[in-house]
Amino acid sequence: MFYRNKSAVFWTLAFPIMLILIFGAIFNGMGEGKANVHVQDLADTDLSHAFVENLTKTDALNIIEIGKDANIDDYIKENSPNVVLIIPANFDMAFMPGAGPNTTTLEIRSDPTSTTGGIVTGIVSGMSNQINLMLASGTNVMTVATSDLVKEQKFTYVDFFIPGIIAMTTMTTTIFWMVSLQTRYKQNGIFKKLITTPLTRFEWLAAQILWQLVVVFISVFVIMLVGIFIFNVRMTLDIVSILIIIFSSAMFSSMGMIIARFVKDEETAGSAANAITFPMMFLSGLFFQIEFMPVYLQRVADVLPLTYVANGLRDSMVYGNMSGAIYNLAVVAVVSIAFFIVGVLVSTWKTE
Amino acid sequence: MIEVSDLVKKYGDLRAIDDISFDVKAGEVFSLLGPNGAGKTTTVEILECLRTRTSGEVRILGMDVKSDAIKIKRRIGVLPQDFNAFDLLTVKENIRFFGNMYDKSVDAEELIKAVDLTEKRDEYFKNLSGGLKQRVGVAISMVNDPEIVFLDEPTTGLDPKARREVWGVIGSLKEKGKTVILTTHYMEEAEFLSDRVGIIDHGKFIAFGTPREIIDTHGTGSLCIIMGADARCAAVLNEQWPEHEVKNGGHIIKLENKNSLPEIIYALDRSGGNYDQIQLTRPTLEDVFLRLTGERLTEGGDATNGKQDRRKSRRIR
Repeated sequence: MFYRNKSAVFWTLAFPIMLILIFGAIFNGMGEGKANVHVQDLADTDLSHAFVENLTKTDALNIIEIGKDANIDDYIKENSPNVVLIIPANFDMAFMPGAGPNTTTLEIRSDPTSTTGGIVTGIVSGMSNQINLMLASGTNVMTVATSDLVKEQKFTYVDFFIPGIIAMTTMTTTIFWMVSLQTRYKQNGIFKKLITTPLTRFEWLAAQILWQLVVVFISVFVIMLVGIFIFNVRMTLDIVSILIIIFSSAMFSSMGMIIARFVKDEETAGSAANAITFPMMFLSGLFFQIEFMPVYLQRVADVLPLTYVANGLRDSMVYGNMSGAIYNLAVVAVVSIAFFIVGVLVSTWKTE
Repeated sequence: MIEVSDLVKKYGDLRAIDDISFDVKAGEVFSLLGPNGAGKTTTVEILECLRTRTSGEVRILGMDVKSDAIKIKRRIGVLPQDFNAFDLLTVKENIRFFGNMYDKSVDAEELIKAVDLTEKRDEYFKNLSGGLKQRVGVAISMVNDPEIVFLDEPTTGLDPKARREVWGVIGSLKEKGKTVILTTHYMEEAEFLSDRVGIIDHGKFIAFGTPREIIDTHGTGSLCIIMGADARCAAVLNEQWPEHEVKNGGHIIKLENKNSLPEIIYALDRSGGNYDQIQLTRPTLEDVFLRLTGERLTEGGDATNGKQDRRKSRRIR
């Protein structure tokens, strides 16, 4: 009987295959991706340029230059970099022989929740040690100082993780609810009765989204309680994060409605929802930094709406990066409206 | 109330509804009768604004089914085929839920009383028997106090007792002055409940009118059956009505006109023989239906048989 249910077979097989492909791709390419380093070259001399050039040649780093005059703290707030390298204005001093015990200190500020910080520190330290050996036979003329990205705050992995969990819960709750509800009502004939009433599909989807918001906010509340009281996470639920949650609930509910259009029965519904949500869960940087992944998977993450939900929530709830949060909110809002419209148009209440 | 003219619905090359026209007047119970797949449900679903037509004119309460679908839906009630409601809501909650879909709705208690479900009103829908579920369905179809009620195969799959109960509820709809459109493949149901019947087969009406008119037009006429006739009686019968059939020991004579019954009795009397009983049977819609469609007779046989052939096979049986 199982084999005759073609869509059940498809989705049941699709799910593990998808998992293998995703994890295979992530772990195979682990380390292949270059770590992004935002470099502010305060010295701006030939020597410092050469130094940055050499960092590029290691093939492990991807250099993004920050303007010399930029306020580094504002830059960090706006761009949410993982690692920032600051080359001091007195960089050239290290290369002036016999000018006394001159040292210059390279400053690395990194997000402690991200492992790229360690990679970059390793490479930069290695290079400065080489310079030390060459120039001063082992005397430290160039040192590396590391610190946290955001000076006043100290983030842990949990800070990174909890907004991701909220994004994931929003997605799974709504998609699973909508897919199973739609297929169940399609199968047992509730929709057959509903279409005979003046209720429109627009009203139906809107009503489901409103109900899902209640459920999602209850989950968010519980997750935040656990985060705050058990893991001591500092997080706020501001208007931007609330809007992101509202729009993402609408977006994923609509997505569920669209998926349900292509699912015939309730047994298949779970597998189909899994097959759709799992890739997003692991490719959208919920549990680890997107930068870990091979570049092509990063491009995939760029088109997954869940990426923007997670980033937006992180920016607004934890990092206090308003401009980043609003950018992500805008993306989520536009995509959710598009999905809502498609959801209303594409969904059907008939079994045929 | 309902005006349908030249309605056609095509699925690819298949003409599921092949040019049908009919009117239904206010307060009438109209039945669409036909075998499975004849086009009954397709027809009513077009009337209920759930399906689009290929061509033709369909007006419900004076409005077009396509352009005024929502307005029509507010004023009609529908019991769909294989009706189902929310399992984990009670009878009353289900009726209220569907009542909320409309601007105005009838009080749930009143509807529960109307379909005689007072004792079961706080029972979960999933725990009800088939017949009770259908009665809930009828109650829900009346929740917006509709002018027209569509009942699509309301008794399919029910046992005879439950069917009778649903019939009772449908009868009460008529008493309330509702116009009722019923589809069914049970002949006795159509005969029992409806003012007028349209028999539909392969998307076309093959008979139309009151049950009585249809029987008179398409029926075989009344039959006189003489059981337990002895040799003398049989001889007379054979002599006078040489073409009559003998089946299971019964002599079956078609009554051409009403005068022939006394003739038969007179002939039997004169023969001096004995017989057990004389039966007089009127054909039912069921007989008419079988005669017109041959549906049950040709089952498993060549489906493309013409009506002539079907009639012959009927006679042979």
